Amino acid sequence: MTGTAKRLTMEAFDRLCRRHLAAGTPMPGYAGPLARHVADGDRRLLKLEYDDSAAALRLWSFLLTEEERLHAARAAGMKIVGAMKDLGTVPVMAYSLPNVVAFYPDGAWWTPCVMELSEGLFGIAQSLGLGDALCPVRAMAGAFINQAHFPIPDLLTCSVGATCDDFSAVAQRLESLGHPILWWEMPSRRRPESGEAAVTLPGGFRAPASQVAVVRSELERIRDALAALAGSPLGDVELAAGIRMANRVRRILGELRSLAYTVEPCPMPALEMLIAEMLAIHFCSDRAESVAVLSLLLQEVHTRMAAKRGVLPTGAARLFWVNPVADLRVMNLLEDCGARLCGTEFLFCHALDEIPEDLPPMESLASMALADPMVGPSADRAARIVRDARAFGAEAVVISRIPGASHCALEGTVIGRIVREELGLPVVELEVPPVADPMWPTLKTRLDALVETVLERRKR
Amino acid sequence: MKSVVYSSPFVPAEWIAAHGVRPMRLRPDPAAALPSTGPLMGVCPYARAFTSEAGTSAGAVIFTTTCDQMRRAAEWLSLEGTTPVFLMNVPATWQTPAAARLYRDELQRLGRFLVALGGAEPSRDRLAATMETYDARRRLLRGDLAAMTARGASEAIARFDLGEEPGNGGPPPGTAAPLMTLRGGSPDPPRRNAASSQSLTPAGAAGRETRRAKTETLRSPTSHVEEPAAHKTAASGAAVAVIGGPLARGDGRLFDALEKAGGRVALDGTESGPRTFPAPFDRRRLRDDPLMELVDAYFGTIPDAFRRPDTLLYQWLSRELAASAARGIIVWRYVWCDMWAAAAARLREATALPVLDLDVTGDASEFGRAANRIQAFMEVLK
Ligand code: SF4
Ligand code: SF4
Repeated sequence: MTGTAKRLTMEAFDRLCRRHLAAGTPMPGYAGPLARHVADGDRRLLKLEYDDSAAALRLWSFLLTEEERLHAARAAGMKIVGAMKDLGTVPVMAYSLPNVVAFYPDGAWWTPCVMELSEGLFGIAQSLGLGDALCPVRAMAGAFINQAHFPIPDLLTCSVGATCDDFSAVAQRLESLGHPILWWEMPSRRRPESGEAAVTLPGGFRAPASQVAVVRSELERIRDALAALAGSPLGDVELAAGIRMANRVRRILGELRSLAYTVEPCPMPALEMLIAEMLAIHFCSDRAESVAVLSLLLQEVHTRMAAKRGVLPTGAARLFWVNPVADLRVMNLLEDCGARLCGTEFLFCHALDEIPEDLPPMESLASMALADPMVGPSADRAARIVRDARAFGAEAVVISRIPGASHCALEGTVIGRIVREELGLPVVELEVPPVADPMWPTLKTRLDALVETVLERRKR
Repeated sequence: MKSVVYSSPFVPAEWIAAHGVRPMRLRPDPAAALPSTGPLMGVCPYARAFTSEAGTSAGAVIFTTTCDQMRRAAEWLSLEGTTPVFLMNVPATWQTPAAARLYRDELQRLGRFLVALGGAEPSRDRLAATMETYDARRRLLRGDLAAMTARGASEAIARFDLGEEPGNGGPPPGTAAPLMTLRGGSPDPPRRNAASSQSLTPAGAAGRETRRAKTETLRSPTSHVEEPAAHKTAASGAAVAVIGGPLARGDGRLFDALEKAGGRVALDGTESGPRTFPAPFDRRRLRDDPLMELVDAYFGTIPDAFRRPDTLLYQWLSRELAASAARGIIVWRYVWCDMWAAAAARLREATALPVLDLDVTGDASEFGRAANRIQAFMEVLK
């Protein structure tokens, strides 16, 4: 990879970290070597490769210290909201209150990967009747039981209805174990019927106005619960300010994505981009810091662009990636196979789109929530993928199946069919388990073959 | 007359019939599912079978959003473009007036779909009369069930759902369709203190809770069903409750296998059994506001695993399990059905009864494995 910023092993990444700390590079208190997290059991970190930059150092430290932040928030008397499943809506509301932090217990999805199954969360889930017919989100139930990961929230919310059965089943099991949940309804987004009042949602989907009204009334219940929890009103003024802050995060991320997914040579690796996208959902429990972390990444991208320096050789095969990977290491693998990310749809594109600021705040939030790609037809999701893949200039689409996920089988087939028809691009479906090492040769062979196909097609 | 098929107990047959369209609740045959109906891995065999069969045998199909698999299967079939498809949004939440309103609005949207199919919007009187007819037929069915074996009762419900008159030896003229199985009746006694039309207002919600609790007590299908004669011959067998998802065509063999292994079906709590009957209609409300009565009888009372919270289901189970004196529970579920995935562990915790978590693929050749597991389970109960 001559002329490129190489990826670093964890040891090298930690050396870089220590150098920066010794040199007095301004770093927040949470920043530090990843080895400390390995000591806590995050063994997958040893096998990942990282971007060679101070921005990435801060990103990783920020991500991996979230639990500490949550415990510190609890110790400081702040209220903690566990928002479940909506991916991007309830935290915008929660962070509009000064004494509330929100996080997604769903994040335990990745714990078995990060801890290479040593944490036993799947075992606990299994003992609760949540076996491997369910997606990795079942790890969340284990985390509630062993309480070794996040503090038990003061308020738990969960969107149900047109979400997914896996989550609904796991959350219901949690409630049966004594964790009360504020359930809120997410209707199945449908196309407006002829003559029906309709609205365009952020991101471009169309929906009946009546469905936005339903979601809005459900979010009003959340608003009341949050205000009661915080002991202070959550008015439109506070919400509007919260939306502006969330949009700040989304705008920075939007610029970062548009550069990282289009510029040659690729200025930011896939793994760091996956982590960066996740910050948009709930700000990793610190909204202001997530702005700072994303801004640094963006600055790094600009610096590399100015120097015409990338992280991969020019000409890497341009892949659009659908669904998050249960094993983060697969993001490294795709680059090892000669590919790069050119667009993503990690199940939460609605959390990346800016929230309208010209509507009443609750209306805006409802519109954004209803734009969740998972609550509507797969054809809508496919249309968004087609649009984004086109915009980012993707040359192939990878649909990464999530083991046990109730939506993946039919949805993946529908998306694959539509993408092939509309874009004429090669589509590959892969299943990625939380620790994919045993499947490495298969995954590599399939990605190699895809890259080869892409390069062949360039010759036509 | 046009016919529409559906599978969910949350689709009111009388609403469809009142529009002049023939409701047919289908019990599909998983073995007959077309290979082209989606991938095998990860797709619930029941949803797959329903989609395959419904797509080839009806004027239109109604799916519901009660599970992810059906929601996505609806899209799969509509993309095929061969059959009109209606996806009815049945809210998972049920404790708020907004949820019941959403269900009502969806019924009205379904009504427009039926009109577009060639049906006619019913007058209030027509709707009320149709509901009364169904209510009466369900009462009759209830009487019939009392004298049947578990399998016989299940099949009678299936025939009822197809449109067969209870008590008659066969289907009414024109209903002996090749689809075989439909369902939707309720053999419950009349409901007292039924919900009023104000029940969708916030003030009415609490009252509805009370009414629901009373209704639920009154519904108790099995506790009102006399011990069937056929069961009396097997009275020495261990009483077992069968709880879970839907039965497909031919799944009645589950009951046979259980009885052959020396058990006795004391409670059919499958989605296809009396658990999912709507509450009996309240006469006064039926006349005043039949649509709201329909909403309350279906959405307000049917206990099921997809509802959030799932309190109604566990209230129903605790009552019915006690009434049935079941000594063991079989959880009947199709593979890839997440809604029933955690039920076995929860039931074990909640009842301290032995529980058999019976996951089935719908593949006839694999039923032997299920039968063996039932046999082994019965050994434990003896
Ligand atoms: S990965 Fe899929 S199935 Fe699992 S919680 Fe997320 S959306 Fe649901
Ligand atoms: S068996 Fe379960 S997954 Fe299958 S259609 Fe029924 S509820 Fe859905």
